[in-house]
Amino acid sequence: MRRQQLRDAAPPAIDGAVGEATLVDGIRASVPIVVGYFPIAFSFGVAATRFGFSAFEAVFLSVVIYSGASQFMALTLLSGGASVIVSIVTLLTMNLRHVLYGPSLLDRADTRAQTRHSWAWAYGLTDEVFATTIGFLAGASKGWSEWFMLGIGAAAFLSWVSGTAAGAFAGGGALAAYPAVEAALGFMLPALFLSLLLAILNRREIPVVTTAGVVCAGVTLATNVTSGILAGMIAGALVGIARFGQAPEEEVV
Amino acid sequence: MRTDLVIVAVVVGLGTWLFRFLPIRLRGMSEVRSTRLTRALESIGPAAIVTLFIASVLPDLAGGTQDLLPFLIGCVATVIAFLIKRNVGLATMAGALAYGVAFAVLRG
Repeated sequence: MRRQQLRDAAPPAIDGAVGEATLVDGIRASVPIVVGYFPIAFSFGVAATRFGFSAFEAVFLSVVIYSGASQFMALTLLSGGASVIVSIVTLLTMNLRHVLYGPSLLDRADTRAQTRHSWAWAYGLTDEVFATTIGFLAGASKGWSEWFMLGIGAAAFLSWVSGTAAGAFAGGGALAAYPAVEAALGFMLPALFLSLLLAILNRREIPVVTTAGVVCAGVTLATNVTSGILAGMIAGALVGIARFGQAPEEEVV
Repeated sequence: MRTDLVIVAVVVGLGTWLFRFLPIRLRGMSEVRSTRLTRALESIGPAAIVTLFIASVLPDLAGGTQDLLPFLIGCVATVIAFLIKRNVGLATMAGALAYGVAFAVLRG
């Protein structure tokens, strides 16, 4: 009975899915991310060189940290003379939200989802990869697979690193002559998130989405973006729990 | 290469990877899961997407560094393209294109 209740509450992520998504499916799904990442990474490469870092150091940060917002923050901290400890704690705090992505993704994928190679694809589980995969699961006829994750993650990573290298070596003038192109590229990620929101939105999700959005906006305006994202996600999760107030306590899967 | 940069990058990179990887690994090892936790995890996906959208536009809109009209045109184009084609990639491209065109026209 409890199992049935849980199944009824679960999103129809892979109901009716035929086969598993392939590496190529992952690469195909990554296209909006790849196009959106490149200009942002380009901006990061430009900013790094302006802050006095070498092109090699900029690419090193993109390869090793691979987390956009915290990389920009790293430039500010390191060039501003912040201590190593303060820099590390600040940047790790910014990335703490990522602990929620893997379990959330697997819950939507399949309770028996393989995770043998998760050490590899988890490296590329960024905000955008997570959100795009959730959108894919909501609308695709194929089921989740580790190959899909490797495809979408690798393509996004290569875009990020190559964009950083291009920005670091080309300098800030490359897109200066084309402000409309620069503006359009800058709108890629907001447009991607809006499209994904439309793809997953249904009546069941409205209370979660509304609460998360309102809390995120309020906290972002009151404090900062990182706190806003984290607060919005937690608020959404709490509403998700509250909507099923009669939930049983524990279940053996 | 600067030593402090290497230390910060390696520790933060390792920590971020662990944030992404360990919950997946620990989830696979656990046989007992709370239903409330499951429902919380289900809700994090939609909550994350809407918060990432807001976080990607709100600071610039509130700070006045992004014009409202191109933003609205870009959003409307994204929604219309999605409703017509039901394709995330095409809707994203259409929204960005509309934003760029609106930006160019308004900046004259």
